[in-house]
Amino acid sequence: MAIVPLINEQERILKNECVGENLYIMRLSSPIIAASITAGQFIHMRISCMEGHILRRPFSVYDLSSPCGTVDIMYQTVGCNSSRMAELEIGDHVESIGPIGNGWYIPSGCSRALLVGGGVGAAPLFMHARNLLEAGIETDVVLGARTAGALAAFDRYAALLGHDPLVATDDGSLGHHGFCTDPAGKLLGSHVYDHVACCGPEPLMRIIAGMAHEAHAECQVSLERRMACGVGACLSCVVDTPMGKRRACVDGPVFDAEEVIW
Amino acid sequence: MAAEIPAPSSADCGNAVDFFVNMKVDLGGLSMKNPVTVASGTFAAGREYNDFFSIDRLGAITTKGVSLHGWEGNESPRIAETPSGMLNSIGLQNPGVEVLRAKDLAWLEGRDVPVIVNVSGHSADEYVQVIEALEEDSRVDAYEINISCPNVDEGGMTFGTHIPSVESVVACCRAATKRPMIVKLSPNVTDIAEIARAAESSGADAVSLINTVLGMAINARTRRPELARVVGGLSGPAVKPIALRMVWEVHRAVCIPILGMGGIMDGQDAIEFMLAGATAVAVGTANFVNPTACVDVIEGIEYYCRQQGVSDVKDLIGGLQC
Repeated sequence: MAIVPLINEQERILKNECVGENLYIMRLSSPIIAASITAGQFIHMRISCMEGHILRRPFSVYDLSSPCGTVDIMYQTVGCNSSRMAELEIGDHVESIGPIGNGWYIPSGCSRALLVGGGVGAAPLFMHARNLLEAGIETDVVLGARTAGALAAFDRYAALLGHDPLVATDDGSLGHHGFCTDPAGKLLGSHVYDHVACCGPEPLMRIIAGMAHEAHAECQVSLERRMACGVGACLSCVVDTPMGKRRACVDGPVFDAEEVIW
Repeated sequence: MAAEIPAPSSADCGNAVDFFVNMKVDLGGLSMKNPVTVASGTFAAGREYNDFFSIDRLGAITTKGVSLHGWEGNESPRIAETPSGMLNSIGLQNPGVEVLRAKDLAWLEGRDVPVIVNVSGHSADEYVQVIEALEEDSRVDAYEINISCPNVDEGGMTFGTHIPSVESVVACCRAATKRPMIVKLSPNVTDIAEIARAAESSGADAVSLINTVLGMAINARTRRPELARVVGGLSGPAVKPIALRMVWEVHRAVCIPILGMGGIMDGQDAIEFMLAGATAVAVGTANFVNPTACVDVIEGIEYYCRQQGVSDVKDLIGGLQC
């Protein structure tokens, strides 16, 4: 795969809307990054309205339109800083470095895939789901969230799949009452998968990786770490692997689960 | 009444495109085409930033701290954002001097930028061994001796906070090389001027300051520290006033040149460091915020000089009027 040079692109906000409990989708006019970013890669965004907060924020790409030159991200507001981000308006500008890192890949010979997205982790899997379906691979999707209102990616997945994804909610307000590991485990027990991809809270990814291992399914996870530079220089975001510490930003964020020492 | 148009003064050459500014500086024997390098550890060896600008534009590149056989570094989380700054406790993760030579110096070879290798060690011997491993390597132009990292248990800052150990490490390194040797100082001392004098009298060609300021951050909700190592080094605009004060104090205390750093985000910040007494400046945390920060600083310095009618950037050094 050709290495795409990084760019720091000035971006115009085309949309910034609330799509669930503390969940937002921002659409950016970002034609250069949109032309090359792939599923599971991320952008590292500088948001100037966060006074006193100087570091960029990493966001995996949720969806994009290459012809329109737009990139969508989904984000969750936690605390006052990301709330400031929700106050940005159409026409405001941000800038992002991208496309960064290694995204999801489809293993050769893959015939059936399981995607498990926890919370806002549903977003980075969406383009991967589309790629799998376009490659003719049978794909099951399990989404989990605290409540039905936090399943913000549900409709896009339903439209993509042509049917509802399996869901689990902590409070039982939609689908399985409990964690998404339960329906994911049932699927892994009843079908043969040769690819599992998971993004969400680290305990979820650890459990899914363990289940995939038991089921002899290849598994990829998208790891999140506190990040400063986002380009591989500062060594803030390292992940422990059998090959030593690797950088979540440019060696990941998607890792083979077998590589991760949990 | 026609307003009198003031004649252009010699101090207003902002629009004069042909006004030449000599940006060259000499940092203790290291010739730099402009006064701007990077703070060690914020820029790796430059490759990661070469997509954004040609690193040949730098006055020098300063590589990530290197030890003899490499260190694993600290546990995660290694950084925390704090008001107008950040804490880090990377812990000098590095693969060792031979990997630096095989990968980083190989990549830097042939580029039109002097290379300052930042040298770390757990003992005076280790610093010397790292230097010895590099002495025959023509791709190295200068050393920065890091006696000020707050994030390692042995060595690091412990060397830089007591005069006898400063003298001992610097003298050992001095004996190992004739190349320009910059000694990087810690701000976590009562009197940085006396530390700088100790470095100078032990053979340093220049001093660089400041390394990060020891700090910590606490998450009140979890009642846990934000960093796995509990404490870390504060950098970014939050530390700039401390850094300026220390550069000014050291400038009055020693005759060797100063590489000033600490929260430099743009050309004006760099100018302030030079006025306080720095001969050159390093851009650190700003690289994380803006990947072309170094270029902005270089151009900002040049712009300031044009505007102020300063034909030689060296004229700014220690130009503070007080």
